[in-house]
Amino acid sequence: MNPTVLVFLVLYFVVVLSIGFWAMRRGAGGDLENYLLGGRRIGPVVTALTLQSTSMSGFMFLGAGALGYVEGYWGLWYAAGDIGGGVVNMSVIGRRMRKLSKLTGSLTPIEYLEKRYPSAAIRLIAGGLTVFLLGSYVLAQFIAGGKGMALVTGLPYSVALLIAVGIILLYTYLGGYLAVAYTDFFQSLVMITGVLWILIAALVEVGGLSAANRAIAALEPSLVSVWGRDLGYQGQWGIALGAVLIFSVGYMGWPHVVTRHMAMESPSTARKAGGYATVWNLLFVPAPYIVGVLAILILPEIGDPELAIFEVARKLLPAAVTGVIMAAIMAAIMSTADSLLLQTGSIAARDLYERFIDPNASERRMVWVSRLMVLAIGAIGYLVALFQPPTVFQVVIFVTSVLGSAFLPAYVCAVWWRKANSPGALASIVAGASAAFLWQFLDLEGASGLHPMVAGLLASTTAMVVVSLATQKRHPVPQAILDLMAESANLGTAAVEPR
Amino acid sequence: MFDLPLSTTLLVFGFPAFWILYTLGFLFLTRNWKRDEGNGAGQGDAP
Repeated sequence: MNPTVLVFLVLYFVVVLSIGFWAMRRGAGGDLENYLLGGRRIGPVVTALTLQSTSMSGFMFLGAGALGYVEGYWGLWYAAGDIGGGVVNMSVIGRRMRKLSKLTGSLTPIEYLEKRYPSAAIRLIAGGLTVFLLGSYVLAQFIAGGKGMALVTGLPYSVALLIAVGIILLYTYLGGYLAVAYTDFFQSLVMITGVLWILIAALVEVGGLSAANRAIAALEPSLVSVWGRDLGYQGQWGIALGAVLIFSVGYMGWPHVVTRHMAMESPSTARKAGGYATVWNLLFVPAPYIVGVLAILILPEIGDPELAIFEVARKLLPAAVTGVIMAAIMAAIMSTADSLLLQTGSIAARDLYERFIDPNASERRMVWVSRLMVLAIGAIGYLVALFQPPTVFQVVIFVTSVLGSAFLPAYVCAVWWRKANSPGALASIVAGASAAFLWQFLDLEGASGLHPMVAGLLASTTAMVVVSLATQKRHPVPQAILDLMAESANLGTAAVEPR
Repeated sequence: MFDLPLSTTLLVFGFPAFWILYTLGFLFLTRNWKRDEGNGAGQGDAP
């Protein structure tokens, strides 16, 4: 392995671990609100960048590059929605969710659901589903991290995986949400530097975008169309729509992402955070897909398309810059994995253990239980990742489709629809998760022309509306919750927020 | 543009343009959030 690359990687790891120790010293483990939400004192810049870097996982450097490499400009359907994901989140639920979660004293996104839709079944089903799905998502990030480290360091996959997982576990364990948010902030800067650097290098190598497009069209004209290689998706608007929705409105159903709203320093933080998120996304999101497309010309014979961006970096950039790119790739992976780990651990601890097993656990005990859950999930993830399940792209699309389908109507209606009640939310979660899961399990996408995300969202939204309306008389939304909803719509905080 | 078909050009540049307009609209409509929040009074629920 090139020593310059190693120096950059080690430097990067030192910085993220330092942030973890710093967060611990700032009292991140003092009580549960500090450990799980950073004491709800995260400002707009950090909120925007932790939201975005958490959403942009290792998928952006592996899956997105592979999609561009295999399907050409078709992959840009995903980028088209992704650019607006942050501002959609902030504008639709950001401020209200921050306020309602504080008013109800909720510390996890699943606890928030139970407080808004009072029902133990909601907590149990949503908690169990989330732990399973986020656990799978963590796994995908571990695989991405292990692959990347192994490629650059030349270490065996199992050792590279151990190093990547060990570092993520350590700072998440120590510093909780504060460490996760601030490492995400640092990592988002590294990510954007790395991806723009490699994009510019690739454009120079191919003689500019116009020349590249002409050359690609000469090789295979369908690659510069919006319908994929050999026009495989031609006219499939249901799939294109799903690709746009999954990373735009779909974000609003991801528990590890909506937690960012709950941790903001004030409800109005959502405004600036939305603006910063769009700026960051415009610069970052399209680049990995385009580098993947350009890799068709730069490296026509790649065995594993998921390594397209790694290989382009290795071919085009000097060792010192490759070190930055590697750090960027690891940053993308780790910034998502740490959030997923913390979220999975905290949901397992707070929403399953404390809620159903030990309701009288002290704050201090719960911080330790959360930490132990983080360790346990990390260890399980490491062991499973050794067996290398399906590609990162497959796992990410599967998990994000099911999560978004299951929870999006529940989170949006929680603050916007006064008739959304517990049976409606429960039916929506079950119907959305089942539809998105079955769509993929039975491979109905091709036959129906509908993306699993679209099928799942149709099912969950319909279930929410129909069941809520049908059960209004027997299960009205409690007046106390309606009052809190009305309060959450107000901008003022001083008079209503518990301090 | 950039030797891409029109539909691909719209996909690559049209969506980002839409999101820029959406964000500017959001920032404009919420320009008083901070001030109203500081006042501690309920000032509506836009957007």
